[in-house]
Amino acid sequence: MPKASDREIPTDPGTGLISVAIGRWAVASAPAQLRTLLGSCVGVAFHDREGRLGALTHVVLPTSRGIEVDHPGKYADTAIPAVLAELERRGGPRVRSRLTAKLAGGARMFQVAADTSGALDIGRRNQEAIEAILAELRIPVLARDFGGNAGRRLTLDTVSGIVAIKVPGGAEYSL
Amino acid sequence: MSNDPGGEGPDSLRSVFDRGAEGASEALSRWLGRPVRLLISAVDRSDLSLAGDLIGPADDLVAACSMGLSGRLDGMLLLVFEDRSGLAIADFLLARPIGSTSEWGELERSAAMETANIVGCAYLNALADAIPDGEKDGLVPTPPEFRHEFAGSLLEFALMDQAAEQDEILLVRTEFVAGPELPSLRWTLLFVPGPSTATTLGALRAGSP
Repeated sequence: MPKASDREIPTDPGTGLISVAIGRWAVASAPAQLRTLLGSCVGVAFHDREGRLGALTHVVLPTSRGIEVDHPGKYADTAIPAVLAELERRGGPRVRSRLTAKLAGGARMFQVAADTSGALDIGRRNQEAIEAILAELRIPVLARDFGGNAGRRLTLDTVSGIVAIKVPGGAEYSL
Repeated sequence: MSNDPGGEGPDSLRSVFDRGAEGASEALSRWLGRPVRLLISAVDRSDLSLAGDLIGPADDLVAACSMGLSGRLDGMLLLVFEDRSGLAIADFLLARPIGSTSEWGELERSAAMETANIVGCAYLNALADAIPDGEKDGLVPTPPEFRHEFAGSLLEFALMDQAAEQDEILLVRTEFVAGPELPSLRWTLLFVPGPSTATTLGALRAGSP
């Protein structure tokens, strides 16, 4: 039975599918799949093949601005450390050296709304923040799938590390 | 999620949204030439993490038309159709047998956007009655944009401004259903308030619009 790191995240007992909500994160042991729906937010999928662990964060904003937060998964600068701490708790201190990451999201879904709300830049700023943090941690980014004007359904397979992306009306593809 | 039909303030605030819902319902009835019944008019407050499922399962595909709002009532209006209902309304407006269309082509999208324009403007006009005449400048919605999208992605994007400020989100939800002649038609109108709207509504609560 896969285990999620967040009690609020429901796991489907029949499929081992764990849904990750907006601004939340989850860690799971293989075999399990972690899934989230993305618009302008960015999903960060971590995989440790040797340790058979996977993790997924749904990052809403690039920075917490140093404020103590209730839900670290919402911000890039709090989500990634929280996920790494849980991965190391489960897999030991060497997990970090084995981790790889794949990134997706940052769509610009509504032209007008984006122009008036500032949402236009959120995806790009999230990407920049996440990439900078991962570079500092020396976690290699194996694949990126950003931009466009459609949402994405991201599914991480914790066995293979494959990230499947589905966009409305399109065929599923892998990262 | 809390369903908070009365809101936190006096009846005047709830009545603002009710007027909007009634205005939209009447406009839909006129547009379709059939009675449209108002099912729900509610203010939803929810943790951000629950927002993706507010209009159904997050990975369900929905059709949605968005209209941006600015001025004292800023934010976004979204008319959301579950796929089957959306295509059915297009069939009805295009005088085809209901159920004959299975994809969102240009004509179907145009029918959906026209419907959203009519409903959205009626809703906004009704809300605007609550604020003083001299402060109604700029209360013009943008033309509708059509999306065929995952419900969760749609809501995530629409709520991004609120998410940037707090962990709790607020949206106003109105659901309609067509009369017995069109039993399969159901729509949801979402009003996602922006920061100026929050200020305006705060003044209404205090009794000084």
